[in-house]
Amino acid sequence: MKRRSTIGLSAIGAVAALVLAACGSGGGSSGGSSGGASASAYNKAITSVVNSSSTKGGTITYALSNVPDSTDPGNTYYAYNWNFTRLYATPLMTYQSCPGTCGLNLVPGLATGPGVQSANGLTWTYHIKPNVYFSDGQLVTSQDVKYAVERSFAKSVLVNGPSYFQVLLAPQKPAYTGPYTDKADGDMALQAVQTPNSTTIVFHLAQRFADFNYVVAIPQTAPVPPNKDTGAQYQTDPISTGPYMISSYQLNKQYTLVPNPHWSASDDTQVKQLASKIIVLLNVNAQDIDNRTLAGDVQVNMAGTGVQAATRGRILLNKTLKADADDPTTGFEWFAYLNTKVAPLNNLHCREAVEYAADKTTLQDAYGGPVLGGDIASTAMPPNIIGYKSFDDYKALSDPSGDLTDAKKQLSLCGHPNGFTIGLGYRSDRPTETAAAQALQAGLARAGINAQLKGFPSGSYYSTYAGVPAYVHSHDLGIDMGGWGADFPDAWGWFDELYNGNAIATAGNTNIAELSDPLVNSLLGKFQLTLNAATRNTYTTEINQQIMKDAAVLPIVYSKALDYRPPNLTNVYVQDYYGMYNYGVIGTKP
Amino acid sequence: MIAFLIRRLLATIVLLIVVSAITFGIFFLLPRLAGQTTYGLATQYVGRNPTPATIHQIEQQLGLNAPVIEQYGRFLRAIVFGEHYRSGPVVAYCPPPCFGYSFKSELPVWPQMVSDMPVTASLAIGAAALWLIGGVAVGILSALRRGSIWDRLSMGVALAGVSLPPFFTGLIALELFSYKWSIFPNVQYVGITQNPLLWAKNLVLPWTVLAFLYAALYARLTRSGMLETMTEDYIRTARAKGLPERTVIIRHALRAVLTPIITIFGMDLGLLLGGAILIEYTFSLHGLGLFTIEAINNQDLPEILGVTMLAAFFIVFANLIVDILYSVADPRVRT
Repeated sequence: MKRRSTIGLSAIGAVAALVLAACGSGGGSSGGSSGGASASAYNKAITSVVNSSSTKGGTITYALSNVPDSTDPGNTYYAYNWNFTRLYATPLMTYQSCPGTCGLNLVPGLATGPGVQSANGLTWTYHIKPNVYFSDGQLVTSQDVKYAVERSFAKSVLVNGPSYFQVLLAPQKPAYTGPYTDKADGDMALQAVQTPNSTTIVFHLAQRFADFNYVVAIPQTAPVPPNKDTGAQYQTDPISTGPYMISSYQLNKQYTLVPNPHWSASDDTQVKQLASKIIVLLNVNAQDIDNRTLAGDVQVNMAGTGVQAATRGRILLNKTLKADADDPTTGFEWFAYLNTKVAPLNNLHCREAVEYAADKTTLQDAYGGPVLGGDIASTAMPPNIIGYKSFDDYKALSDPSGDLTDAKKQLSLCGHPNGFTIGLGYRSDRPTETAAAQALQAGLARAGINAQLKGFPSGSYYSTYAGVPAYVHSHDLGIDMGGWGADFPDAWGWFDELYNGNAIATAGNTNIAELSDPLVNSLLGKFQLTLNAATRNTYTTEINQQIMKDAAVLPIVYSKALDYRPPNLTNVYVQDYYGMYNYGVIGTKP
Repeated sequence: MIAFLIRRLLATIVLLIVVSAITFGIFFLLPRLAGQTTYGLATQYVGRNPTPATIHQIEQQLGLNAPVIEQYGRFLRAIVFGEHYRSGPVVAYCPPPCFGYSFKSELPVWPQMVSDMPVTASLAIGAAALWLIGGVAVGILSALRRGSIWDRLSMGVALAGVSLPPFFTGLIALELFSYKWSIFPNVQYVGITQNPLLWAKNLVLPWTVLAFLYAALYARLTRSGMLETMTEDYIRTARAKGLPERTVIIRHALRAVLTPIITIFGMDLGLLLGGAILIEYTFSLHGLGLFTIEAINNQDLPEILGVTMLAAFFIVFANLIVDILYSVADPRVRT
């Protein structure tokens, strides 16, 4: 999940701000079962539940500095919103509510259990829980889930959500375009999804895909009754299957949720119905959100991306405030793509020279330092991806200011002992990325590598410049700043779009490094054919190591964010998958 | 007088049509002249990872591949007669004056602006009343006590008001009166019909900050105007006639000073009604200013076009009002 415009399977994905999964340690206890009244402490909510309580009542106010792409669970692609929609939309599968790495585990949501894969791997069958009702009293059926999936095909109406179903499900002719465009076929015309009875749903895939349980954990499988669907307007009054329902909606200003009377705790044990009202304020300026949160007028910064720089000192220098703060890794990684086709970086040794010469400490500072920016990265994927193992091929951790001796050696090996000149692309309207590009330029200059800065606007950075190989080649853009957060917390979710050599597109390309390593491609293919966790972890490590051996990426930081949790909130902890507090279980002291 | 009004109204309508043509051209013609394809324009209306088929579908749905003049005709027709827009299973009616349909928010532009207008109007009109009364009063007193401590102090404050940007004074005001002392906690817009007291309470800080900026300018203008006017012969004559000083100041001197102030006031108010961007952003008030920021951030052309047209209307309308007031004050301008 990251940027925009991609093509094919590798092109699905991605919102730059989407930070799915996060690091964290230790398995924790499930929400509501630990923590108790013990004293709060800095980073406590990363590994345990803070203020565990089942007390009901009170109002929780969320604030957001902009507006969600949509409150329709079928039309959204932001991590914070996938987190929040669990309060009123239950997908087939969901993530286990618990602190620590167990928060990366998939558990049944609306389904009674994980999908059952057929012998040939092309069919996935789910059974949904009986006696689950919508907030208007209708019984939820598998047809409602199928209809929700059909909506995801209507990309001209519901433009924001991911396109996994379009890419993964078996195609039909003529191509299915959603329930709105061809009413002659009637609803339920998607042939790749069958509902043999009202509690069973069967997905027919075009090819084997071991991660399909992750796909049905996206809110796009939260059921939608066809008779209530109003297309893009559905967001103003989505029918709920979760513990809350939207009771009022003022576009761009705020919306309010109240308890759903037709929801039962047995419907979905991963979420709770504690507060008596939830208010979401929209378009509150970011600094104002921080101030209001510290003043107690707002409880949660919904974006989950941490406080502003101006608030950081205020929190860290005040013991009381600091005890109510956490600095989790967000699941996002900042890095620089090293293009394997642009000379002289088409020579491995030249790329390795860049790896050694870069000063990771100044790069880390550019992204905000260790608290706001993150930990120095040494691998191609962050620690919160399942199967992660740490290693340090280019001394990013052991010699973070850069090893110029090794850099010079690599330069000699690549035939440029005195260095070379190369273009360095970045988004010039992003201050942190601009600072990082300048820091990288300065670091490389020490080894004689002359990186020429080339700034581009964010809106078209990938669609017109860095994501268009022809442009990259003609402008010698050998290095491009970037970042990534995965839709799925596993190797495929992280690597496929970034490094699958079979999916280098002529436009909207996400494999910016243009890496086409047969070993990486093969491992990604194998990964998707196996369900065995240990084998998958082995593949994960091999892929990660191979990409670093290819020096296709210069890792910079595993992103972190400083979050503040007001002391009156209950059941607060960081959910690793979202890299932010778990909105599904938070309560408040009335 | 009626002929003058009709002439000015017609001129206003022509001016608005010209503004609409130029604005429409900037957003829909210039990109084409610069080499932007209609396919490229359509990509701005789709979400992430669109397929080429989806983009073509959007291109046709929005009529982007039609000649620009035809698109402009549709735009004008929608303003006059309204328009129906289909989105998925829903047909949305955009009543006149319909400024287009946002395929990003999936809503007609005009109702969105109408929804945000009370916020901006409340902010602008309240602040305008404050700065007009406060600024003029301070200016008069300063002029009458020229060189006194009051004069120097008030002019010093006025200088600070002009110099300090509202996002700075706004943050200071919020920090002190909202977060620290909680005199005006949790500032957010509440409709005047919903709760008039809360409406006023929540707007006191934004009004004051905005008025501080403008009052300073008005105080200085009034002061200099008064100083000049008070030396005029007719003021001396009025005093010689034995008129009370208060009458001399208010009925004779101030009247002359107010003429240029009315002109500037009309323009300032017109500009603000189009969106007080900095104040709305600082205080998180969702009026036309924040609407504009969102439209720009989202590259939502119909919304940008709509808000530009509305802002232009306010300016033109304010000018019209000022012209009419002028014609009342000075009949010579009617010719």
